[in-house]
Amino acid sequence: MDRREFLKQVSMWSAGLSITVPHFTIISEALAAQRQAPVIAYAKGKDYAALVSQILDSLGGMEKFVKSGNTVVIKPNIGWDRNPDQAANTHPLIVKALVEHALDAGAKEVKVFDRTCNEARRCYVNSGVQDILKTIKSNRVTFFHPDERKYIPVDISKGQAARRLEIYKDALEADSYINVPIAKHHSLSTLTLGMKNSMGVLGGKRGDMHHDLGQKIADLATIVRPTLTVIDATRILLRNGPQGGNLNDVKVLDTIIASTDPVAIDAYATTFFEMKPGDIPSTVAAYKHGLGEMDLAKIKIIKT
Amino acid sequence: MRKKTFPLNNWRRLSQILCFSLFLFLFIKTDYTGHDQLAYAVNILFRIDPLLALCTSLAAKAFIQLMWPALLTLIFTLIFGRFFCGWACPIGALLDFSQRFFTPVNKKPNSLFRSLKYYLLGFLIIAAFFGMPVAGYFDPFSILVRGLALAVYPAMNVAAASFFTFTYDQAPQWVNAITEPVYAFLRYTVLPFDQKHYDLALLSLAILLTVIAFEKIQRRFFCRSICPLGGLLAVVSKFSLMRGKSGTKCGKCTNCQDICPMGAIDQERNISPLACNLCLDCVDSCPGNKISFTFSPATVVPQVFNLSRRTFIGSLAAGAVLPLFLQTRSLAKQGNPQLIRPPGALPEDDFLGRCVRCGECMKVCIGNALHPTFLESGIEGMFSPTLKARIGYCEYNCTLCGQVCPTGAITELAVQPKQQTKIGNAIFDKNLCLPYAKGIPCIVCEEHCPTPEKAIQFRMASVINSKRETVNVRQPYIVDELCIGCGICETKCPLPGHAAVRLTSAGESRNPQNALPGTSAPY
Ligand code: SF4
Ligand code: SF4
Repeated sequence: MDRREFLKQVSMWSAGLSITVPHFTIISEALAAQRQAPVIAYAKGKDYAALVSQILDSLGGMEKFVKSGNTVVIKPNIGWDRNPDQAANTHPLIVKALVEHALDAGAKEVKVFDRTCNEARRCYVNSGVQDILKTIKSNRVTFFHPDERKYIPVDISKGQAARRLEIYKDALEADSYINVPIAKHHSLSTLTLGMKNSMGVLGGKRGDMHHDLGQKIADLATIVRPTLTVIDATRILLRNGPQGGNLNDVKVLDTIIASTDPVAIDAYATTFFEMKPGDIPSTVAAYKHGLGEMDLAKIKIIKT
Repeated sequence: MRKKTFPLNNWRRLSQILCFSLFLFLFIKTDYTGHDQLAYAVNILFRIDPLLALCTSLAAKAFIQLMWPALLTLIFTLIFGRFFCGWACPIGALLDFSQRFFTPVNKKPNSLFRSLKYYLLGFLIIAAFFGMPVAGYFDPFSILVRGLALAVYPAMNVAAASFFTFTYDQAPQWVNAITEPVYAFLRYTVLPFDQKHYDLALLSLAILLTVIAFEKIQRRFFCRSICPLGGLLAVVSKFSLMRGKSGTKCGKCTNCQDICPMGAIDQERNISPLACNLCLDCVDSCPGNKISFTFSPATVVPQVFNLSRRTFIGSLAAGAVLPLFLQTRSLAKQGNPQLIRPPGALPEDDFLGRCVRCGECMKVCIGNALHPTFLESGIEGMFSPTLKARIGYCEYNCTLCGQVCPTGAITELAVQPKQQTKIGNAIFDKNLCLPYAKGIPCIVCEEHCPTPEKAIQFRMASVINSKRETVNVRQPYIVDELCIGCGICETKCPLPGHAAVRLTSAGESRNPQNALPGTSAPY
């Protein structure tokens, strides 16, 4: 099923015109045909806004991912009531830079949100994202708390562990979905990287995801497919993830990477923790779904 | 004779509207607003209440500093009499407003059971002193805020959400173009941020509605006969400077008597300062303009306390004796392990003595963790706060409940000491916990545990699952020294029904007797 047909189902369902739950099938072959050798842009430095510009440039500029008039969703990790130094949430400067680039590329609307784990307002404030987005004076930016009414059940035809999930409408409908996770430790998924971050667009009881977490994350990734993934590794959380709280668990890397291949970028980010892509169940499962490349030898790294 | 262009009554209405609006404003502001510290003294209503100040001070056997504003109320009462009931009290305003929907059955000017409030007052004061602090059951502000916070406000959100969900799902686009911005505006201004759910929501509502429904008996029946705060203000008003004076030689009309909502005017047109709430309706209603309020006290003999000495002594004796029986319950020997008090709560006896059951902490709790107890802390503890971890948890960086508590029953803690205050301890039920009971990987609890070094850790274990396969899973366990009892693990446990990890009051820092093996500090 192609994306356009799927979105039609989504909008019919949410308008109450259809009672059948929208469903989404991916055809691995089709994906494989689209796939070229994945590229990862890598940048290191202290000026995080500059790093964002560099990696975007080396991937061909934001205009490649955001066309004029597009609706853009930028999905950082703002899950925890922690401040930027504690490395539990995406760095606010990175979020800001991406929003500005999207605006410059002519986005009609840029939406930023996350469904948080701690109290939502506290997370938005303490993460620093709320304050920094206020400094962007544009009415094309909306930073909001998810609206309960907008979660849409979706049947995942190719899902192996997750067969139906409730997904935020805006994430499904966006012309361009930019996933901006922070790389950090997590006891069950081993690491929290790009694909895990998409759990922030899920409604319902997310705790259920944890039984066979890696597979379920990969199943979700068959539907929520970012146009671009930017991983914040400016500081990474080595232990006591996903929320940390202890600065001794934080390692400063001053690094940002970006890619259009959600599997490849997760695979590469694993190396920051001195682990192998194969150690992360969600990477392996997504690779098997045909969603991207996990063999580091086949990934092209552009250092800027 | 001066022509009344703006009836006095209107001034009073204005004052009531202003006070009620201020009250609602503070009520809505009793919430997290993006800053860790609350910007307003949202609890001021309770701090100006001399009944609560008196009872909590007696229970604590010390003057409670936080409640000093109650002295102001007393001073003003000494000057103006029971003006508070007529001009400021939000429940009074609510009753005056509701009165138009009721036709009282009893139209006689005399109040029924007028002295009941004095017996109640005596009982509450003595009982508070002897260790049975139940003033909050009858205090008007406690009744009002509890009813609003636990029932009315959450229900308002249900109503708004259902309506706007309906329009969102069913209505055509152009309707949504109007309704959605309205909804957004309401959410931004008056609606609560989240849908909250509370224990005893219906009971709290029923009590509030009963107080209002008393208007069916007589106008302001609650204020005339039950309200112990009104009783206290009445006692003080006996000495007040400003008094209503009626004309000596007026005609035979009984306008003033009929109109007086407090039953303060007797057959001889004497205005009792004990009952008069200075609404001034009588001034407006007197055809001869013979009634005036002046600072010339005691020309009129105040109506006596009409108390039966025997009944009064009886109510005092009950207040002194009943607390003895509380000591005979099993609860007196062993506290309820399900009773989790908010961080900073005083040791149980002191806590109950000071808690005025105002519901402020429950209103402000951003985790929806705090709920009124029913009988978990005994009959005298009803409506005091307890943490129900299956419904909500204590947010790690939050300190709001201590900030709103008007009596210091919950001590105001800074973030860091709060994060080190243990309010309970979690335990695993291995018969339910998936990695133990079924060999299914989970540890959602560990993910959410907020302590920087996790209080939930795990060991790898190989388990035979229900398909008879041997699997390796991470099995969680609690490190007592690190657990602070926030309860997020119980809230987020993905099992249906009971959580596999549960909070108990074991190890709570306010009670050294409750220390866990290994965590006990020498004392
Ligand atoms: S119980 Fe915890 S979350 Fe609730 S108000 Fe108190 S400190 Fe905040
Ligand atoms: S109650 Fe649970 S989540 Fe909270 S500190 Fe203890 S173990 Fe951690």
